[in-house]
Amino acid sequence: MRRTKLFAGSSHRELATLVAQRLGHPLSNVALQAFANRETSVHIGVSVRNEDVFIIQSGSDTVNDHLMELLIMVNACKSASASRITAVIPYFPYSKQCKRKKERGAIAAKLVANMLSVAGVDHIITMDLHASQMQGFFNRPIDNLVAEPCIIRWVRDNVPEWQDAVVVSKNAGGVKRVTSMADKLGINFALIHTDRNPHRQEAWSTLSSRAPSRVPSDAEDDEEDEDEEDEEDEVVAGAEAAVEQANLHHRLASVNEVSADDAVTAGSGAPSDVSKARETKAVVVADESSGESCDRRVKQVQRLSLVGSVRGRVALLVDDMIDKPHSFLQAAEQLMQCGAKAVYILATHGILSGNALQLIETSPMVRRVVVTNTFPVSAAKRQLTSKLTVIDVSSVFSEAIRRTHNGESVSFLFDHAI
Amino acid sequence: MSTNSIKIFAGSSHRHLAGLVATRLGIELSKVGVYKYSNQETAVTIGESVRDEDVYIIQSGSGEINDNLMELLIMINACKTASARRITAVIPCFPYARQDKKDKSRAPISAKLVANMLTVAGADHVITMDLHASQIQGFFNVPVDNLYAEPCTLKYIKECIPDYRSAVIVSPDAGGAKRATSIADRLDLDFALIHKERKKANEVSRMVLVGDVRGKVAILVDDMADTCGTLGLAAKTLVDNGATRVYAIVTHGILSGKAVSVINNSVLEKIVVTNTVPHESKKVECPKLDTIDISATLAEAIRRTHNGESVSYLFSHVPE
Repeated sequence: MRRTKLFAGSSHRELATLVAQRLGHPLSNVALQAFANRETSVHIGVSVRNEDVFIIQSGSDTVNDHLMELLIMVNACKSASASRITAVIPYFPYSKQCKRKKERGAIAAKLVANMLSVAGVDHIITMDLHASQMQGFFNRPIDNLVAEPCIIRWVRDNVPEWQDAVVVSKNAGGVKRVTSMADKLGINFALIHTDRNPHRQEAWSTLSSRAPSRVPSDAEDDEEDEDEEDEEDEVVAGAEAAVEQANLHHRLASVNEVSADDAVTAGSGAPSDVSKARETKAVVVADESSGESCDRRVKQVQRLSLVGSVRGRVALLVDDMIDKPHSFLQAAEQLMQCGAKAVYILATHGILSGNALQLIETSPMVRRVVVTNTFPVSAAKRQLTSKLTVIDVSSVFSEAIRRTHNGESVSFLFDHAI
Repeated sequence: MSTNSIKIFAGSSHRHLAGLVATRLGIELSKVGVYKYSNQETAVTIGESVRDEDVYIIQSGSGEINDNLMELLIMINACKTASARRITAVIPCFPYARQDKKDKSRAPISAKLVANMLTVAGADHVITMDLHASQIQGFFNVPVDNLYAEPCTLKYIKECIPDYRSAVIVSPDAGGAKRATSIADRLDLDFALIHKERKKANEVSRMVLVGDVRGKVAILVDDMADTCGTLGLAAKTLVDNGATRVYAIVTHGILSGKAVSVINNSVLEKIVVTNTVPHESKKVECPKLDTIDISATLAEAIRRTHNGESVSYLFSHVPE
């Protein structure tokens, strides 16, 4: 590639190196350091005047430092007269904070998008955004690549019983993702529904008294995280429910017909019941978004129920990211109770913070966890479990970079593994 | 019912200073929850309504500088989307202020980037103190009030340095000459300058004193003390040239790295910093460290900004 420079941020040099190798184009020199007062320092080592610059930086465990580093690198290239700057962000940081889901919350993802624009980014390449609507946050072109073809290829190659497997979403928000994968594999899908006991009584004071502490305890954090995730998913479901419902009914119904003998828990045996369940959920959603629901840290009694059948089959639990694995493990347990032969967890972004991998290793419910290398998983982390597989998606990024540079279409990458 | 009253939020970088400011204004800090998700992303919950209120967010550029900056940006953004009437970022020590020019090829102007980020997050106004270069005010498209610690510094010199009338104000580098001459003029004292040759950031090689300090008290004045290498060497140069005692007065005491041990081992009599940056923990290890409280200046600036009064008074006076 002529007049092109590739730079790697310090978050994920492994992926950047792989991408550079595949492109047959070396990474250019850049000195990334921190000053004594911890300000980030960047020195671009080669001329970028009139060059097509690609900067590869993912999210990581020190997300704010790496985000700042990316912004400064972009800014340095911009003021050094680069002709075009493309930020390649395999895992987009703050993508979970992409809507106002509580009163007075910030849309941090939109803020990050604005910061990138203001730093001087001309184009963004990323993968599996938490919500594809985030593409609208940018006033620059953005290519949201998908890991799905790579994951599907892995399933075909490595799951012996895949033709008889069931793809499962652990919440309603992920149904679209799951149906798409089920369609492409030509297999059935199921859905895990979380029932909540709405005892939202804890007062706001709980939060405010806790406010000064910067890092909450692990337990609280978990709950918070899950809650956030699920609440979020519910909102998504609420929005899409109407559109999807007819289609969903049809498919769920057919699933139920196939396995009419299966006593599916929590009365989802007939389509009408399913719809009732969804209506109830819609009401809950309305409650959450309208009322003064500050108490997001409520203790909740969760009841999982499976919609669809997995008896005697392999279950592929699919989501876009896996951080703390509790909700996945609960779902896996539910699936095993419903007679699944084995459970695979498939996620694009393997954040796996804290003791996630130990929990997975010790859980008898999970056969394998499969993630891609969009998010750096250190060698030390990989040693913690034998159940982790990391799929290499560097080829997708290198091809996207090549096509972007040459002005070719990238749509091919949405359906084909390379 | 909104009252368009002052709401002060404190980021996690320097809650102590924010508390002092709030006490001065006779109000309480507003509730905010700042925490991190397990994936280390910063999250913020604004704990009370800010609709149509005049919001001030106090966050200094210190410690985990990128985390604190991100936190500030998210807090601003949260207030913005919650319909605050006006959002003022109060940044006692402005982060990345030293990366303010393209001093070598392809160097980023990170201070400008930070300015843009604050604007894009939704800040309507910025209050800061002793910017490394006052030109940084021009990086913003919103009004910036650059306050001075100078009045407080003068007060300290008059009250706490016994024989200040025979002292010499010394600037440790050419860039600080203006700041030092201004103080020297106000106190009607002599002025000297140390010229240093810098090889790379945070490292100083050779120093030359311009002016006379023999038999006098020397007061080094600067805007920022980071690793303190410069100050240590400057103090030594002054003593070598016959100064009886050497004080250092610095606005932003970042004191990173080995600063504390450098100060302890130096010939400095005292190093005086303002509380724009938290340094309580360092005070325990460093008996030479003294603090000037500038919360009054910040509080008064906030009050005046809120009431639409002039803040110029604060450039030359310490509020009572």
